[in-house]
Amino acid sequence: MFDFCFSLRYNIRMISEEKLKILTEGAKYDVSCSSSGSGRKNVGGMGNGYAAGCCHSFTPDGRCISLLKILLSNDCIYDCKYCPNRAKADVTRAEATPDEIASLTFDFYKRNYIEGLFLSSAVTKSPDYTMERLLLTVKKLRTEYRFHGYIHLKGIPRADMALSREAASYVDRMSYNVELPSEASLRLLAPQKSKESLLLPMQTLARDAQIFRAEKRKGLFLPAGQTTQMIVGASPETDGRILRLSQSLYRKTGLKRVYYSSYVPVVHDSLLPDLPVGQLREHRLYQADWLMRFYGFSAEEIAPTEENLPLEYDPKCAWALRNMHLFPIEINRAPLEVLLRTPGIGTKSAYKITEARKYCKLEFEHLKKMRVVLKRAKHFITCNGKFYGAKQQSAIKGFLAAEEQSNSAVQLSLFSDGNNAQKALTGQL
Amino acid sequence: MIYFFDGTKEGFLTALVVAFCDENAFLTSKQKQLTLGEDCMFISADAQKAKKAEARLLQADKQSMSDLTTLLRSSDPNNAQIAFRYLQLVAKEKKPVRNMLANGDVVAATECMQRVTWELHRLKGFVRFMESASGALYAPLSPDHDICDLLLPHFRARLPEFPFVLHDVSRKKAAVYDGKNSFLAPLDRADVLLSADERAWQSLWRKYYQSVNIPSRERLKQMRGYLPVRYWKFLPEKFP
Repeated sequence: MFDFCFSLRYNIRMISEEKLKILTEGAKYDVSCSSSGSGRKNVGGMGNGYAAGCCHSFTPDGRCISLLKILLSNDCIYDCKYCPNRAKADVTRAEATPDEIASLTFDFYKRNYIEGLFLSSAVTKSPDYTMERLLLTVKKLRTEYRFHGYIHLKGIPRADMALSREAASYVDRMSYNVELPSEASLRLLAPQKSKESLLLPMQTLARDAQIFRAEKRKGLFLPAGQTTQMIVGASPETDGRILRLSQSLYRKTGLKRVYYSSYVPVVHDSLLPDLPVGQLREHRLYQADWLMRFYGFSAEEIAPTEENLPLEYDPKCAWALRNMHLFPIEINRAPLEVLLRTPGIGTKSAYKITEARKYCKLEFEHLKKMRVVLKRAKHFITCNGKFYGAKQQSAIKGFLAAEEQSNSAVQLSLFSDGNNAQKALTGQL
Repeated sequence: MIYFFDGTKEGFLTALVVAFCDENAFLTSKQKQLTLGEDCMFISADAQKAKKAEARLLQADKQSMSDLTTLLRSSDPNNAQIAFRYLQLVAKEKKPVRNMLANGDVVAATECMQRVTWELHRLKGFVRFMESASGALYAPLSPDHDICDLLLPHFRARLPEFPFVLHDVSRKKAAVYDGKNSFLAPLDRADVLLSADERAWQSLWRKYYQSVNIPSRERLKQMRGYLPVRYWKFLPEKFP
């Protein structure tokens, strides 16, 4: 009796566990979880942005929980072949009210479970109807709930641009998923979406954001920019093609990030592969993506159009092995851009080296002390004229590949299904 | 010679002055087993000596005092010695030394500070508040390093309308925000009367945690690397 009173008084807006489960499971294959890039201030109410981003928990699959990743509805009118929520799929359908999502976000944030909300939705009834509901939810959160934490909103393709624009003025980041790396694959696997319906809103919002900043208008408009995601391995595109697409997205639409999601067969369809894509391929794509964003590489340097990235070693090693005439480099003289192109030397190590060499001539021992990882780098550098690596290119290749094998995290991802990974851990394989 | 001091910044700076020219000096404020034949000295804080040392160090490096407070918060048994060697170098060089990254003392100090700031960053994510019947928020924690008051400004900026308590249960103290002011206070234990729907929110959070996981991609080792087991005891999603 007592409990009943309380639940009446307090829980009108509390979402049921069953609904939460359905709407979360529908959203969990989306990779993006970053909460960085927004410095939104608290202007009365609760929450603010934390530009560095913050992870609040980690699930047993090793992924971080930063945002409350959830769907408003999983009841879809589209029938994309790879999607667990597609119209013809036999799954339990659920739809949350804007208040249920808003109060869930509010109360999770208050307890410091999350850094904000990542709201997405299946296309319910029509693109416009869905976008209106999404807009209503984020508007409610910002105005009624006075919530200033991070919000990442998924855009609905083919919805009225006026709705997307208004939503963009409330949220920190928006994303339209390009889903598949080519128009042909899109036609085959996601017939209701087209390249144009996905790229056009991205370009429009990018232009709007530019104008907004140029005119120095009040308020915020997508302070953390836009991102996108594509599924790798559900269709036949090579890594070379995928990276060229990413590069043009970075250059033309100013995207902050492209996420790659290795294909997990949740649905069986004759048009789709039955086997999941190794997570190693996804890992290599991310490494290549980092090379383009932080290391000054172009897609053309990383992989030929019709080729995949080599699995034996990382893309920077592969590039260096193709360009051995540029190595070894002298650690005490090489400029930053050259250091960044050396296998095994990351942005942090490169910075440390450029700082430390102002004070003394760097020897191999110094680098060790500075915790610069030398297992790969030693084949490509000289320290004060001295070389510590292997002399022949074939030997270097052998060392690098062996090095990669001994890296257990990467080795594990060679066995992309959970059972084998478990066996590998316990030594049964 | 081993120099014991009281763990305060003043005590440290006094010890720094006294031990400055001793090549075999070892500074500590923690309990230490003495081996036979080792000399030791107890340093009591001397405000004047400390002030002088502080002025000299600040002249050489404006950030030297904030580095020192970070180092003194570390639970590393050698933290005071690391700080001693580092600040000795600052005083000798008469300029900032933090970029002399090939120097062993600088590396040791940098790494010691990084461990403190890294935990601070981690805890901004791992703190879990529970709501009390009065609406105030309470979070128990037991960090490796003495940093619970450093979390105050972060949560104050986010939750200005909620009074909250960050309780370091192992050091028996709490960083408190009462809705207006924030302060540090000793706190042995706290009895918290939970709000009516606190358990329901915790249970929803557990449900979310289970649902967002992809079981076919289990990578427990990676998860434990990011979320070390010692932090689990205050996370509702890890309660059985």
